[in-house]
Amino acid sequence: MAEEKKTLLERDDIGRMVSRMAHEIVEKASAPGELALIGIRSRGVHLARRLARKIEEIAKTAPAVGVIDVTPYRDDKLQEQSLPAVGAFEVQVAVDDRTVVLVDDVIFRGRTIRAAMEAVERLGQPKRILVAALIDRGDRELPIRADIVGKNIEVLDGQRVNVLLDEADGVDQVVLTNWQEKNRSI
Amino acid sequence: MRSLISIADLTNDEIEEIFTLADDVAKLRAAKVGAGQIMATLFYEPSTRTRLSFESAMQRLGGSVISCSDMKASSTAKGETVADTAKVVSSYADVLVVRHNWDGAVQAMAEHADVPVINAGDGGHEHPTQTLCDLYTLRQEKGGLKGLTVVVCGDLKNGRTIHSLVYALARFGANVVTLAAGGMELPQYVIERLEREYDYSFAPVASGDLNSVVTETDALYLTPKQPHQLALYTQVDKVIQSQLSSLATGLRYDAFYMTRKQKERMKDGGANASYPTIGPEFLQEKRFQNTVVMHPLPRVDELSPELDKDRRGIYFKQAAYGVPVRMALLEFLSRANRTQRHGAKQASRAYRSPEPIGPKCRNANCITIQEPRSTERRFRIYFADHIGALILGCDYCDHRFKVDYVGNRAAKRYSSFDIAQSATIRDWWGRGELALFDSIKEAEELGYEPTKTSGQRVLMGEEEIDSALAAMSEQILNDCRDPDRLLILGVRSVGSQLAQRIAAAIEARRKRRPELGEIEIYGSGDELRRSSAADPDLGPLSLKDREVVLVDDVIYTGRTVKSALSIIFRSGRPRSVRLAVLVDRGHREVPVKPNYVGKNIPSSEKDRVRVRLRGEERQESDRVVIYSIVNPAVNTNTVAASREKSASQ
Repeated sequence: MAEEKKTLLERDDIGRMVSRMAHEIVEKASAPGELALIGIRSRGVHLARRLARKIEEIAKTAPAVGVIDVTPYRDDKLQEQSLPAVGAFEVQVAVDDRTVVLVDDVIFRGRTIRAAMEAVERLGQPKRILVAALIDRGDRELPIRADIVGKNIEVLDGQRVNVLLDEADGVDQVVLTNWQEKNRSI
Repeated sequence: MRSLISIADLTNDEIEEIFTLADDVAKLRAAKVGAGQIMATLFYEPSTRTRLSFESAMQRLGGSVISCSDMKASSTAKGETVADTAKVVSSYADVLVVRHNWDGAVQAMAEHADVPVINAGDGGHEHPTQTLCDLYTLRQEKGGLKGLTVVVCGDLKNGRTIHSLVYALARFGANVVTLAAGGMELPQYVIERLEREYDYSFAPVASGDLNSVVTETDALYLTPKQPHQLALYTQVDKVIQSQLSSLATGLRYDAFYMTRKQKERMKDGGANASYPTIGPEFLQEKRFQNTVVMHPLPRVDELSPELDKDRRGIYFKQAAYGVPVRMALLEFLSRANRTQRHGAKQASRAYRSPEPIGPKCRNANCITIQEPRSTERRFRIYFADHIGALILGCDYCDHRFKVDYVGNRAAKRYSSFDIAQSATIRDWWGRGELALFDSIKEAEELGYEPTKTSGQRVLMGEEEIDSALAAMSEQILNDCRDPDRLLILGVRSVGSQLAQRIAAAIEARRKRRPELGEIEIYGSGDELRRSSAADPDLGPLSLKDREVVLVDDVIYTGRTVKSALSIIFRSGRPRSVRLAVLVDRGHREVPVKPNYVGKNIPSSEKDRVRVRLRGEERQESDRVVIYSIVNPAVNTNTVAASREKSASQ
């Protein structure tokens, strides 16, 4: 497997991005107390917790953090791009009349966010739903936007962006990997 | 007085109570608990099982039965209303059992009868006693209902037994997998109720997982290419998640519930649609060795005859349980009425129009439309702020629809509904001043005048709209990877008109018309359909691998688009969905973003932006206008008013 790795962002970059994103979230919320962050499994959860800590430093109130697992459903044919996803809450938060921020590491096709949005709707009626992503790699397949973005990265076909975080990977890094098409099957 | 119109009239405990009575019907029979009771059966539609089992049940309880052999030959033929029939017959009998071809007719009869009324099937609405028999059968066969996975197959749209059954299964904590024939999916209002009231979630089931055993006469819709399988889970929890990823081995299915195609409720008799059947392959598959097959009967050819001899084919048993369950039900109702026990239904305040002209149910088969004399126009009102709509639910047939025009009775003013008015409208409703209308004509007929506005400013004229649509059409075509897979989907109603124009522009360039459909965000009809019925042979819209372009007139909070995406993903798996809007007025509340925008128009929250197209009610040209409400109505301490105040400061 011929993989080429390139480090795009290091620990300090990620730290600055998270900090700026936290400020943006606070600005967009009408009151920090009405914020609910929902981390999308798995790296989105770590990011959501980091953002929550930062928001607490800035606004002196810690927002609630929920956890959602969005599993892209794979059918027998593994047509990855055409699959819907199902969202299930692992940690529920109150969403009624709140500003809900869905947090993920990378936003790409928009399918995960759509599934997460639907799951949020089943919890209640938020005032507003925002999306925060550390990396926006474009190429959306659905009309979904990221409201708060750490960095926009253009990614070519056959490349993949990986966000590595201390909590899961022992390192804070954003890595661009070239990978061959034939390795795509999972 | 306790009647049984909907399965929702009974609490879970009461259903258990009926089952306990059914377990020991010999006791009821010996005690002759029905002695001296007369049951009248009024069947406006043919029936064998339901009617005979009810009559047998009453006689076994020691009571007697009167009936009219053919309601069509009764005074109905002379024009008697169901209300009058109910009133008259209730002086001859102690309980009425009614089947009617109109949705909600039995409810109307119960309102006019002086004795309890049991619904033995009303149009495409509900059939609660069948559901009781179904639940009882499942309980007998499987020991309980909680945690069961039941596959409901066939006509899920018109099958009244299905609607009652899925609600009941939801209440008892069973999982439901739907396997609809093409174009006969569970209606939106049923799905909404499952989601909101019973906390159900959808999860996709492996396409083709059931296809090896459930075959179709001409295998059109249930091929792996076009999955029509949808699972409803009480909760998509960890366990379900793991099952989803290992669906290759299949879920544990406890029961298949087959239904007959409800030809009599289809305009064309359903001639073109193919239909799932359970074939002999089912019997051979090991994983179905404990899966029972149920059918409310009569069957046509959905079940292979080999199934009759198999222990898993329990539909005759199911029919046999009809008598004990109905005996138990008759006894339960008679006890409940003696002790004046209240049912499960909570009396929520109904909306009744304060004016003689008001909104009408959109379901053409509803009793309120077929025979308004027997009903009062009574609705449940839902402030569906999450989709920016005001919804009415018919109290008779349960169909729900969006309200178009709202008025204030005291001020005699009307306007088209806008989500910004939500608080004001709640206030009017609280004071009994809320008048709702289906059209401008209705409001004006009653002497209502349009709400005063700031004066309209035209933001886009005809030429500008034309060129915006042309530019958008070109971009859509340029961005399209495979123009043959393009599907232009307009959001009803203005969005579908714009979609037609975009499709025409694309046709002019490509010399080939892209497929065109429309999506109804809230309504009781088909939520997704072809926008022209010119070619009914084409069958239902397919979303699989399509490049969908969703078209709407104005994007505001984005909630409409979000709902449209939910409907789309529930119905298929498109390759992509792009969004085209004529006007983006900002103020997004959900993270959706249009790909194509005709014009960005900054607006304040109290403004209204409307796209008016030629041919619409009183429109002679195409325009986009902006205006704001000056004074929604007299004496109104509204959000809009306070906003205005703060804006002027």
